[in-house]
Amino acid sequence: MTRDHAVIEELLAIRSLGGLDGDDGPLLESELASHGDCEECRRLEREYDETAGRLAFALDPASVDMEQAHEILRRATHPATQDAAPPPIAGTIDELEARRARRGRSWPAPVAAAVAVILAVSAVVLFGSDRSTGVQASTAQQVVGFTGDAGELAMAYRPGEPGALLLGSGFADPGADEVYAIWMLQGTTPVSGGCVRPHDGSIVVFVNADLTGTDQMAVTVEPASCPSAPTTAPILVSDPLVA
Amino acid sequence: MVRTATDIRSEPVEAIDLAEARDRELVLGIRRRDEEAFRGLFGRYAPTATSLAMRVVRQSYLAEEIVQEAFMALWRNPDAYDDTRGSVKSWLMGMVHHRAVDTVRREESHRRRAEKTAHQAMELESDHADEVVEQIGLPQERRRVRAALDELPEAQRAVLKRMYFDGLSQSQIAEATGLPLGTVKSRTLLGMRRLRAVLVQEEP
Repeated sequence: MTRDHAVIEELLAIRSLGGLDGDDGPLLESELASHGDCEECRRLEREYDETAGRLAFALDPASVDMEQAHEILRRATHPATQDAAPPPIAGTIDELEARRARRGRSWPAPVAAAVAVILAVSAVVLFGSDRSTGVQASTAQQVVGFTGDAGELAMAYRPGEPGALLLGSGFADPGADEVYAIWMLQGTTPVSGGCVRPHDGSIVVFVNADLTGTDQMAVTVEPASCPSAPTTAPILVSDPLVA
Repeated sequence: MVRTATDIRSEPVEAIDLAEARDRELVLGIRRRDEEAFRGLFGRYAPTATSLAMRVVRQSYLAEEIVQEAFMALWRNPDAYDDTRGSVKSWLMGMVHHRAVDTVRREESHRRRAEKTAHQAMELESDHADEVVEQIGLPQERRRVRAALDELPEAQRAVLKRMYFDGLSQSQIAEATGLPLGTVKSRTLLGMRRLRAVLVQEEP
């Protein structure tokens, strides 16, 4: 008896182009499983995947620096170096900076005010154990705002000393598989400041890291694994930090 | 099943074109940790892979990262390539495309804001590029793929382009075009059947 491959063929064709969604992924898996060891299924899968791959060649090739191949080999051979020097994200930051310049300065005043209030209470806890030291520290603290469309965010820190407090509101839940990642931009190199999930749209997080050499901060949406280098474009970028 | 280097070496070459044979030799070299083989394959396909990633994610930094990730995966695990399942070039482009689509879906909200403008710009760029390249001539592969796409009915070609080159899912295309989901699916299947017949089943 000849099996009907109509559903499998349609779903394989769509999957090969990356277009499958909803219940059709599980449906395809179920259909394939029901066919067991199916040579026709394998042929269809192979040929549609091959066809989809060929479509890329309709595009004009981009200019590529062969130095990238060397860099890949270097990163593969020395993964620790990769973590220490993640790739720059200057291009995307420039885009946000340009957008900020067009829109004018967008200071999240309510959040900055909240930062100031909380700092008045928590400076001693965060930056020193002595009350008088804390009060002195608060006068040197800096508050910077972030620009972007993800929510309002501000950061307080004391130049020359480690640690920064970030407060934000209006953040969408990134879902179970993703988190908001905080980056310290040192030149064009992002260094991870950790990852955070908002609670009821709010973010309150203390980044326990040395900000020395950090020019700006940025936030991206990343997989829940919290990678050591950004994989997506920044959704928020801070004003320049004071050294 | 992943085949060993010995399996591939013993396979008759007459059934595959010379370029594909060369690609498989390079994969064998990578399995031997030959960095020159890696550079060879990178040089052959990174330009097209970058163009594909750029087309889908529309940000040069992300596109470059995606291509580097794909080639890094190749270097780290060249045995992932199974020659019984297709050509090296299609496998590589598949890796790049999957990563690009994943990236786009993660950045969906960002993408939606920029989509209208970017799409218009991309269409203009593509049309202009086509003219320039036709004048200077294209490698056979590019000519074949473009000719195959040109032969498709416009309705099918439009769905395939939005799905593959714009990284949209079947449901997103249905939503964007107002077409019933079933129509999107049937146009995709019909278009892919025609392309498969031309590009895969009738290889020279």
